[in-house]
Amino acid sequence: MPGKDYASTRYSGLNQITTANAARLRAAWSFSTGVLGGHEGQPLVVGNTMFVVTPFPNVLYAFDLTQEGYPLKWKYRPDVNPSAIGIACCDAINRGAVYAAGKVVYNLLDGHTVAVDARTGRELWKTQIGSLGQGETTPMAPFIVGNRVIVGPSGGEFGIHGWVKALDLATGRILWTAHNMGPDSQMIARPGTFTGGANLGVSTWSGDAWRRGGAPVWGWISYDPQLDLIYFGTGNPGPYNPEQRPGENKWTNSVLARRPGDGSLVWAYQFTPHDSWDYDSNAEMILVDLVVGGRMRRVLVHFDKNGFAYTIDRATGELLLAEPFAHVTWARRIDRTTGVPVVDSRKVTGASRGNIQGICPSLEGGKTPVAPGAYSPRTGWFYTATNNLCMSFDATTVTRIPGTPFIGASTPYVAGPGGHMGGFIAWDAARGRKVWEIKEKFPVWSGTVVTAGDVVFYGTLDGWFKAVDARNGRPLWKFKVGSGVVGAPITFRGPDGKQYVAVYAGIGGDWFLLAGDVRSDDPADVRPPSDFAPDLGRYTSQGGMVWIFGL
Amino acid sequence: MVLALALACERGGSEQLPPSVRYPDHVSAGGSPPPAREVENPIASDSASASHGAQIYASMNCDGCHGAGATGWVGPSLVDGRWRYGGTDGAVFQSIFYGRPRGMPAYGGVMSPGAIWTVIVYIRAQPVPSVVPTQRWTGSETPPRP
Repeated sequence: MPGKDYASTRYSGLNQITTANAARLRAAWSFSTGVLGGHEGQPLVVGNTMFVVTPFPNVLYAFDLTQEGYPLKWKYRPDVNPSAIGIACCDAINRGAVYAAGKVVYNLLDGHTVAVDARTGRELWKTQIGSLGQGETTPMAPFIVGNRVIVGPSGGEFGIHGWVKALDLATGRILWTAHNMGPDSQMIARPGTFTGGANLGVSTWSGDAWRRGGAPVWGWISYDPQLDLIYFGTGNPGPYNPEQRPGENKWTNSVLARRPGDGSLVWAYQFTPHDSWDYDSNAEMILVDLVVGGRMRRVLVHFDKNGFAYTIDRATGELLLAEPFAHVTWARRIDRTTGVPVVDSRKVTGASRGNIQGICPSLEGGKTPVAPGAYSPRTGWFYTATNNLCMSFDATTVTRIPGTPFIGASTPYVAGPGGHMGGFIAWDAARGRKVWEIKEKFPVWSGTVVTAGDVVFYGTLDGWFKAVDARNGRPLWKFKVGSGVVGAPITFRGPDGKQYVAVYAGIGGDWFLLAGDVRSDDPADVRPPSDFAPDLGRYTSQGGMVWIFGL
Repeated sequence: MVLALALACERGGSEQLPPSVRYPDHVSAGGSPPPAREVENPIASDSASASHGAQIYASMNCDGCHGAGATGWVGPSLVDGRWRYGGTDGAVFQSIFYGRPRGMPAYGGVMSPGAIWTVIVYIRAQPVPSVVPTQRWTGSETPPRP
């Protein structure tokens, strides 16, 4: 599955590659996907086959790892509506496939989920789950629990009415749909099951603003089999101008815990009420058991775009810890008793408030949800990419025209304190503190994997793929992969018994971040570099490569 | 905003729709359109129209894809002097009215022809950078703005 296990730890027990020998890593294989664009997500290795999903047009490749050169077993080329490209807020990306019961299941950008026979590549079913006309696209990686395929849409910049759906793994039939706001009936929030209060999905909004209030589900999903709960984050409220949606806007920017069987909501917690800064909460929820405050707790750890790292009791939703992992100016702290941020009122945005300066983090987040972190039970620490950007925020009133952007803000960036724009950190979630940090010149948009060899892998926007020591961040090895890394590395044991590491190279995923000067494929679209990262184009342009490294 | 929307929807009637863009299924073999008189923008290229066009550009959410100042975001820059589907006023009108593959929605029926022409005046009023084709870096950390 995309996050390695139900708990989304991205931890591998493989230990052939160690801190002692990682310096000898070398490229073992590479493959051009034939697509230029943001290669988010991760390859999927099942048995002796590696599956790769490309950005639009969402080609699915199946590589035979038993043969020299890893030739294709098959490739599946779906018919994807190209108009989806104009509905996708942030490049025509895809975050990967999931495998279960002989099927490879993934989302097409144009609002469809497909299941493909893992052995033959034959399409088994295809279900429409989203509406392009309403601004919904579907780049997230589905998640499978039992016979339920859980999916959600993007569209926080298009005024969607966010949801999750469960499809029948065998047939693709939609079994339930649960909205993230609206009446309890649409939210599947039942008295006795959900104890948070009645109709909060309506009462925390003004009028019917919830109908176009966003709350997309484009990130990662986790599952606790003992509690029988899935956990996922929701994205920003729409539009960005908060004056058009008075209220707390539940459940945007939240984590929701639902029963996978019938979708019922059990608990929810909102990280950033009445969001004023586009602080989506779609980043992964990593499930571990930790001693917090002297007690063993079943927790969920989440690095939010708002710059705080949260440790939450995953049975109840109780907030245990929330400490900043990035430079934060929008709030002074999170009140641990109420769970509510203590907001700096000078940083609140709105069309009537003019251009608000010095907001940190930027709307790219203290960490981008695109880049899932990892947890090592050997160190007890979490590992994640970070951004060090601040922004000004000039909100404007905007009108929703279905299928067109519903944003209403101009938000230029500058580098945060220190001048570096990103980093990679180890985090102690039991104490809420940073253990070590590697500073990077550019924002870091790579996921990560950590291994039993105590090696952590991540990539950078300027195209380096790196291995570092999980215990202290010491650099062990790096390789220039040809384009910026926005995907998540994986590690696997090949048919030859050896440990390998795979990662995509292909910058993209957010044109707010990239300005467009990293493109070279369109003579009719030539742009100057972005103000805040004027030399990124010196180190990378678009790409689309799959790399495998080994000893 | 409400005013801008009202103006966008009301200004100009269907009689202003030029003949060359009435039909959605034009075929231009080899990229060469049939010989015809070039359509002219009926809206005056003055600062008042450009300012009005800027309002419509924002209220129709054009900035959500093409960026503030039309400098490009997920959609291409409209102020780099380069055009995928032709840069004449008539060609730009057609791109807006009928949309284009790979993401540009059709705004015909959402915006009046007059509003489309006014947005074109706004786009034309934006400066085109003098040094676009070459991006040059020197030294180890030199900001390279052309």
